[in-house]
Amino acid sequence: MSSGGGRVLHSEARVSVELQTPEMTLNIGPQHPSTHGVLRLVAKVDGERIDSVEPVVGYMHRGYEKLAEVRTYPQVTALLNRIDWTAGLANEVPFIIAAERLMGVEAPPRAQYLRIMLTEMFRISAHLLFLSSYPLELGASTPLMYALREREHVLDLIEGVTGGRFHPNFNRIGGVKPAAGGGKGQRTVVQDLPEGFLEGTRRAMAKVSAVCDDMEALVRGNEIFQQRTKGVGIIPAEKALEYGVSGPNLRGSGVRFDLRKVEAHLPYDRFDFEIPVGENGDCFDRYVVRLEEIRQAARIVVQAVDGIPDGPLRAKVPRVIKVPKGECYVRAENPKGEMGYYLVSTGGRGPYRVKIRSASFSNISVLPWLLEGVLVPDIIAILGSLDFVLGDVDR
Amino acid sequence: MSPSESRLRDLISDVCPSAVWREELGTAKLSIARSDWVEAHRALKSRFPFFSWLSAIDWAAEVAVGDAPEMEEGEQMVERFEVLSRISDVSDGDGLILSTDVPKEDACVDSLTGVYAGADWHEREAAEMFGIDFIGHPNLVGLYLPDGFVGHPLRKSYALLSREVKPWPGDVDVEPREGDG
Amino acid sequence: MIFDGFWVLLGVKLLALTVVVIGGSLVIIYAELKVGAHMQNRVGPYYAGVRWGWAQPLADAVKFLQKEDLVPADADTKVFKAAPMVSLMGTMAVFVIVPFSPKLIVRDLDLGIFYALAASSLGTLAMLMAGWSSANKFSLMGGLRAAAQLIAYELPMVLAVVGVVIQAGTLSMVQIVDAQVALGLPYVIGGQAVGFFIFVTASLAELSRTPFDMPIAESELVSGYMTEYSGIRFTMFYLAEYAGLFAAAAIASTLFLGGYHFPGLDVEVWGPFVLLAKVGALAFLMIWFRWTWPRLREDQLQSFAWRWLVPLALANIVVTAVLKVAL
Repeated sequence: MSSGGGRVLHSEARVSVELQTPEMTLNIGPQHPSTHGVLRLVAKVDGERIDSVEPVVGYMHRGYEKLAEVRTYPQVTALLNRIDWTAGLANEVPFIIAAERLMGVEAPPRAQYLRIMLTEMFRISAHLLFLSSYPLELGASTPLMYALREREHVLDLIEGVTGGRFHPNFNRIGGVKPAAGGGKGQRTVVQDLPEGFLEGTRRAMAKVSAVCDDMEALVRGNEIFQQRTKGVGIIPAEKALEYGVSGPNLRGSGVRFDLRKVEAHLPYDRFDFEIPVGENGDCFDRYVVRLEEIRQAARIVVQAVDGIPDGPLRAKVPRVIKVPKGECYVRAENPKGEMGYYLVSTGGRGPYRVKIRSASFSNISVLPWLLEGVLVPDIIAILGSLDFVLGDVDR
Repeated sequence: MSPSESRLRDLISDVCPSAVWREELGTAKLSIARSDWVEAHRALKSRFPFFSWLSAIDWAAEVAVGDAPEMEEGEQMVERFEVLSRISDVSDGDGLILSTDVPKEDACVDSLTGVYAGADWHEREAAEMFGIDFIGHPNLVGLYLPDGFVGHPLRKSYALLSREVKPWPGDVDVEPREGDG
Repeated sequence: MIFDGFWVLLGVKLLALTVVVIGGSLVIIYAELKVGAHMQNRVGPYYAGVRWGWAQPLADAVKFLQKEDLVPADADTKVFKAAPMVSLMGTMAVFVIVPFSPKLIVRDLDLGIFYALAASSLGTLAMLMAGWSSANKFSLMGGLRAAAQLIAYELPMVLAVVGVVIQAGTLSMVQIVDAQVALGLPYVIGGQAVGFFIFVTASLAELSRTPFDMPIAESELVSGYMTEYSGIRFTMFYLAEYAGLFAAAAIASTLFLGGYHFPGLDVEVWGPFVLLAKVGALAFLMIWFRWTWPRLREDQLQSFAWRWLVPLALANIVVTAVLKVAL
């Protein structure tokens, strides 16, 4: 870069600084190890920095809202399990409660305790899955093994009660699935929970809390992990509210709001638990909130196991379910966020219209705003920290 | 009039005096005129900053799938689209569903993206599923459906191919109920 | 002329070297799989090799050899095919000066360590060649990241070695070991602790191992610059990575841990085993790091090199030089 006497020509130096490099369009997904499913991000990249991002969704759109119109009420829950497949039962509960409200039926206390217990166990399962996959995306492969091992205990327990690890289809209008047997004329009490279930649940919750402590040292306290996640992907609280971001993502941004404390659909007020809240709204806070939520969920499960009342598992409902006319919106705290169902019934065998409010749909609608000006490796950190599943996004 | 209703009335009284309030089964619903749609949201935004969802219902007497709506004696179904939006707050969990009726021949309503940024994707979905136009939306392209898809799936007139081939079997639960023996 | 003693001896030495290097790499690959597995509460390779799984790396090698030779349609074929060879050759060239005992060394060059550092930087060129010629945006990004990272960490590595050279007063590897014997302490205790830390860190970065494995960040770029390679070409990259680990551990052992010398043991007989034991210990350390930590982001990596390691290494040189003159 010199001429005539070894001097650097300043004009030459300036040209190389102003060199226009064209933007590159980078397609992240739909097949990609880190996009939690078939999400496609069309990113305009300048070197390692993103100029703009356009998420393309719909690769998994199954048309649930239309399908629900062609199902009877008991058949709809088989569909709804599969919206957020990591949260199983938690998807069914708001819909069933909406139908029960329209019918004027209330589930017996034992069923309600079981609903809470299983919802919290699914919350633990979903958050453990997050704890295992998020550090993996950042390069640490060991937390995966530790967290998934404990998750197996929880999934085994769920399978023992409901028959399914991921898609329990356990809720019925009026309660939960009653035990088989005990036909006409029999007065004996049927054992409705597997043998050793309650004791096994207590032990599993102790193990789950232990693995959370492991994660404290291995991941949360690790400087490299903190460097990768602190200050990255900050969602301010006002933006989060405008876009409808909910669940641990909203709590990571400092908003102390949990539907379990506010909604009356299940008797959460009988349980003692705290709501972890983050400070800055960065990826680190969202991680820490989920880590703490596992502990709180384990607390709730242990209290439910200790206090579960006896009684039937399902209220008396007519053989053919007929839901009277009406409209009702019920929402619940899904592991991913606020999940709600707006149920419109006009007296048919199935719903007239079901609007499914899924948490991940709103959670990732903030991506075009959030990912502007971000470095490419940070995309992975941010996507992972939002913890969405495509079934929830695409329905 | 409940305390929450009276507070809301104060907020929107000058914007849409003709709003109809209904509260049942734990769901509060406010029906307002189409012309007041954006203004009502703007007035309520400070009270309810959380934008939950926006969607629509296709009210039709004849349906291509499922069961037709049951009507009382002498009641007529008013065929229309009902656009719904749900907003709530994050302090005590109060929420509200706002609804407006949109005639089918003139299926358009103002976009809420100027008030709540999150309405963007919800309106795109409602537009492609129902065929409602949201005036003022920056980028009203489809969200879910593949390119070249014809029709609006969530309209009651849209038939499902598999149901054309084989009618809905209805209630064929395999599981025995209690008392079945 | 072809049967001249010198050429025969050279041929024998190179053959022996190849066997040792490939064999050593396979052992390290096996160790990585097994040690990593046990750290994660798994068993690791089990079936290939009568319940211990020792034949797993061999089985993998055979599997790769019989794969189809794929070259992407848009790729720059000559460069694409040459890249893995350059990488492997660059790594093996380093082994010329690794002393297994005072006599068991291919050639005790007077330039010793300087030659090794120069030869090892061929790997950077190979990564760039692979990334560019693959005709794949993700590979290109991986190749560019790799080049930036390797250039950044080359400097602290060289500077850390300069500290040792000043203290020993020579560039020849055998004489550096002799200097440590004369001092009575390996340099890691005898004054170059900081240098050791810098050298190991910089070697991890040169090898693109976690926490510095951005170039092959699996969860982001699939496999970075190696994405489009399969079969025998991939095997060459794979072997080059582990041979490089062997080389880095061997050089670190010689420069800082006393090489083939152990107090009380006869170097002629025990030398190679002592060196291999030290190499094993360092390799274990590097494997441990890989399975424990997440990876640093590219700019954090760069800032770590330029703002921390380079000034630290320069300070180390100054202190070493002052102490060398004063003591």
